[in-house]
Amino acid sequence: MTTPWDRLLGARVENGQRKPPFTAVLSRVPIFENLSKHELASIDRILHRREYLPDEIVFRQGEPGMGMYVVQTGKVAIVSEPQNQQLYEMQEGDFFGEVALLDEGPRSATAVARSSCTLLGFFQPDLFDLISRNPRLGVKVVLSVARHVGVRLRQADDWVTALTVELEALRKKHTRHEEG
Amino acid sequence: MLGFQSRHTGGFIAFLIGILSLVTILYSGGVGETVAVALLLAYILNPVVTRLEYRGINRGLAAGLLLLGVLGTGALIWLIVSPIAAQQLQSMNTGNASAQAHRIVDNVQNFLDTRFNYLGLAKVDLNLEISRFKADMAERIPAALLESSISFVIALVMIPFLMFFFLKDGSQIKRYFIGLVPNRYFEFAMDLLYKMDTQLGNYLRGQFLDALVFGILTTIALWILGVPFFVYIGLFAGLANLIPFIGPIAGASLAAISVVVEQGDLGRVWSVIVAFIILKLVDDFVVQPIAVGKTVDIHPIAVALGIIVAGHFFGVIGMLLVVPFTGFMKVVLEESVQTYRKYKFD
Repeated sequence: MTTPWDRLLGARVENGQRKPPFTAVLSRVPIFENLSKHELASIDRILHRREYLPDEIVFRQGEPGMGMYVVQTGKVAIVSEPQNQQLYEMQEGDFFGEVALLDEGPRSATAVARSSCTLLGFFQPDLFDLISRNPRLGVKVVLSVARHVGVRLRQADDWVTALTVELEALRKKHTRHEEG
Repeated sequence: MLGFQSRHTGGFIAFLIGILSLVTILYSGGVGETVAVALLLAYILNPVVTRLEYRGINRGLAAGLLLLGVLGTGALIWLIVSPIAAQQLQSMNTGNASAQAHRIVDNVQNFLDTRFNYLGLAKVDLNLEISRFKADMAERIPAALLESSISFVIALVMIPFLMFFFLKDGSQIKRYFIGLVPNRYFEFAMDLLYKMDTQLGNYLRGQFLDALVFGILTTIALWILGVPFFVYIGLFAGLANLIPFIGPIAGASLAAISVVVEQGDLGRVWSVIVAFIILKLVDDFVVQPIAVGKTVDIHPIAVALGIIVAGHFFGVIGMLLVVPFTGFMKVVLEESVQTYRKYKFD
């Protein structure tokens, strides 16, 4: 159904129907992969499409996080400050900043556009609104986000464990070297 | 240094936006006021539509059902209240006060003549002045309620129409306007709007509900006590209750004066005062804790100054609305400053 606002505010309309423009991208995002077409269309309606120029900051480390971004086109670098060390490079279909959907804490890294890119923003206020209007879908999304945050936490945990083992080995090696 | 400047710049910008919006609404004629009223009503009633949507009803249908409910209730109240209101207006214009009331007013006049003759009050005929004042109010009330019949009818049609679309598509409209914010300030704008929405929503809905409940309870109490013009005094008391300290006293004084000058029944003045004390206690300990989730503390001196300034520029309506508006501005300023300080704008 199209509404007068769709026409007034310039929403994408095709054959009298409001076109969900991001559904194809969303269905490839792991957080939304278990959603039906109808549910994806509901998510599509609350997303914010943002265009960025190369080297433009998406968000800055230490600032409050409001939500996650899905890369529709282009590349985004996740950079740790103040060393300016690149941690990841996000490409089409990747998503980042999802922790901010669950927690209002400061961003742990800076996100910078590496090329001209289009991002789809999914923000905490819209998620809360979705939960109050359609709790079934809202809970589904929150569970999925929590599951992915859990996976990343486990990965980080494994990484820390591996680094701790490596550090311990280095320390032992260093001690032996000093004793020898 | 930058932090100091930023804090003040953020607050100043929010204040300017608020003042500009108010001036635009007040001076854009009927259109601005109609849109503002529809927007305010839609904002206050939005949780009801969300609750209906939660129950599985389509948002458009939910907005339509709510609108029908509001219009139906309004029509019912109009049917019940309008004959009484018209009759009270008529008696305000032409009706005569009781002989007892005349005697009391004469006694007051004699007292003033003997004790305060030097003030020149002896030349004033109090009974005549009261009749003139009542006739003047009888003219002013309908004029204030229906500024002109055409704009009133347009507003009556346009407000529900706009309200329906604001309720149904409010989030789309909000999303469109947030979309216009530049990338660097986008998350800040989202953050600020969300926090303001949470704070303001609770505050405005609370104030609206409290004024409504207090107005209805006062009207019923005054009707039971047989106070003249109880419909208008009840309406005034509901709105005046938005003003802390002064509002309830103003409502009670108006009711007491109308009892004295119309019925001359001094005994009933006490029952009116007791009724207002009970109503205020019920309001403070029952209605407000339920309706007003979060209060916005405004210093009494700020309230008094605000009332004087608003009264000077915008008359009685300005005086009644200055407290909710000051509360609105306070939330906007505080949230703007607090949110701005968390972001690292260059």
